[in-house]
Amino acid sequence: MPKVYNWQLGREMEYPYQGAYPRRQFAFVFNINRCIACQTCTMACKSTWTFSKGQEHMWWANVETKPYGGYPQFWDMKILKLLEEANPGGQQWTEPPTGDSRAPYGRFDGKTVFEAKQSLRPGSSRVLGYLPSDEEWNSPNIYEDNPVGKKGVPNQYDKEGVSGPEHKTWFFYLARICNHCSHPACLAACPRKAIYKRPEDGIVLIDQKECRGYRKCVEACPYKKSMYRGNTRVSEKCVACYPRIEGTDPESDGQPMETRCMAACVGQIRMQGLVQLNSDGTWAEDRQHPLYYLVHVAKVALPLYPQLGTEPNGYYIPPRWVPRPYLRQMFGPGVDEAIERYAYPDRELLAVLQLFRRSNRIIYRYEIEKGPKVYEATLRGRKITTYDDTVIAYGQDGKEIFRTAVEEPIYVRPGIHANSI
Amino acid sequence: MPYKEPDPGDPHVLVGVALPADREAMEEMAYVFAEEYARLGYDRTRLLWLFKNPFYGGAHGAYQVLGEETVRAIIDECLAAWGGSRFSISDSGSPIDPGEIENRKSKIQNEEEER
Repeated sequence: MPKVYNWQLGREMEYPYQGAYPRRQFAFVFNINRCIACQTCTMACKSTWTFSKGQEHMWWANVETKPYGGYPQFWDMKILKLLEEANPGGQQWTEPPTGDSRAPYGRFDGKTVFEAKQSLRPGSSRVLGYLPSDEEWNSPNIYEDNPVGKKGVPNQYDKEGVSGPEHKTWFFYLARICNHCSHPACLAACPRKAIYKRPEDGIVLIDQKECRGYRKCVEACPYKKSMYRGNTRVSEKCVACYPRIEGTDPESDGQPMETRCMAACVGQIRMQGLVQLNSDGTWAEDRQHPLYYLVHVAKVALPLYPQLGTEPNGYYIPPRWVPRPYLRQMFGPGVDEAIERYAYPDRELLAVLQLFRRSNRIIYRYEIEKGPKVYEATLRGRKITTYDDTVIAYGQDGKEIFRTAVEEPIYVRPGIHANSI
Repeated sequence: MPYKEPDPGDPHVLVGVALPADREAMEEMAYVFAEEYARLGYDRTRLLWLFKNPFYGGAHGAYQVLGEETVRAIIDECLAAWGGSRFSISDSGSPIDPGEIENRKSKIQNEEEER
């Protein structure tokens, strides 16, 4: 089997195809410290792409409550369990995080979904995975915030309320879309080669004419973001709103725009962009690109379950209140450093964090104009200094998209209009 | 909801299983709550009320585990760092005539009484 370099694991790994990387790669950063699970992203995607008959169970974008929620149910625990069974006790990071951008999280010496050969059923399979049952797909966010009626009483909420499990200790919301992986498991598993990665932006698509609905991609994708549609008998997945990325959406005025789920984000937790890659799939240095800065310079944004081996292009700023062992399992060994930097941000990070959701245009570059020091304090032994810097975002055409300052004005609705509804 | 009732024998349908969270995790949560609300301009009394009120499950859970003394210390530390924020409100809309607000209030009250 050919080898590809997986920089998130800090080593080469087996993959059914030779590495082939796009000129730019679709990537995103979600700051889940800020996610309130309003599901606006979920509905923005649903109302754009999956509103048709046969797509009822499909949520290309979803938000699940961790640790107990999942869509499909228990997707992450199930694949982690399969890998643990394939390599008992061996799913470990053996070297610590480094400053090297080819191995920033150290080295993972466990097995990826492509490397657990002895556990594959049938033996001709290429990727370790499982096919979720209908029940697992049908109930996104089961037992979470969804009000339900009494059994056998349709179209009515339960008047006495329903009691779900109360998680008394901690939880957080995990927003998810397809990670448009650099080494996609769906693509590797497809026996018809119906799945491809676009050379211009790395978006992973299913060719609907070639697909015969074998569901190998559904089985293989460890993030379970490839979904089968019963009435057309083909599989479908997130298309990264590619007309917007291409700048062909009527609203975009010819310039690349972020996806619907990003643009709709009420909590302003999302930023999406197109990053430059080297010929081996590692990120090319692009110091003033906001995603490059967050992932490779500030190192506050981490990949979701990097140990699965697909090199996902979705990155998360981990929630700072969650116990570290859980976060390390989910985001790898970079968690402690990421939280330390996010909780006590330096001058540049504070400015870059202001770039989130000030515009729907894709940001290609940022500059910072220095402003005055406005605040200084000490918390838990660490010095906090705030500067009212101005951060300026530039688009693909090199023109300024917007500028914004660290100190935001607060607008208060006048008393006379306090309640205008 | 699922088509079938959950099978209690299936370990994958166990829900509401609390993962262990030690005192350290609670302390982190308490700091996050205190910091966030201190930055929004909450004073000591309001912050402590937030922790004491059982309605706010997360903050109150931390209060119960850590105890009032620790929570007070966390609040004081966060206020020392972030409590200096002061908001001055400048209204960019048309000047508000307090008399007009009173007129509107009484008009609404009258309408309610008539109902």
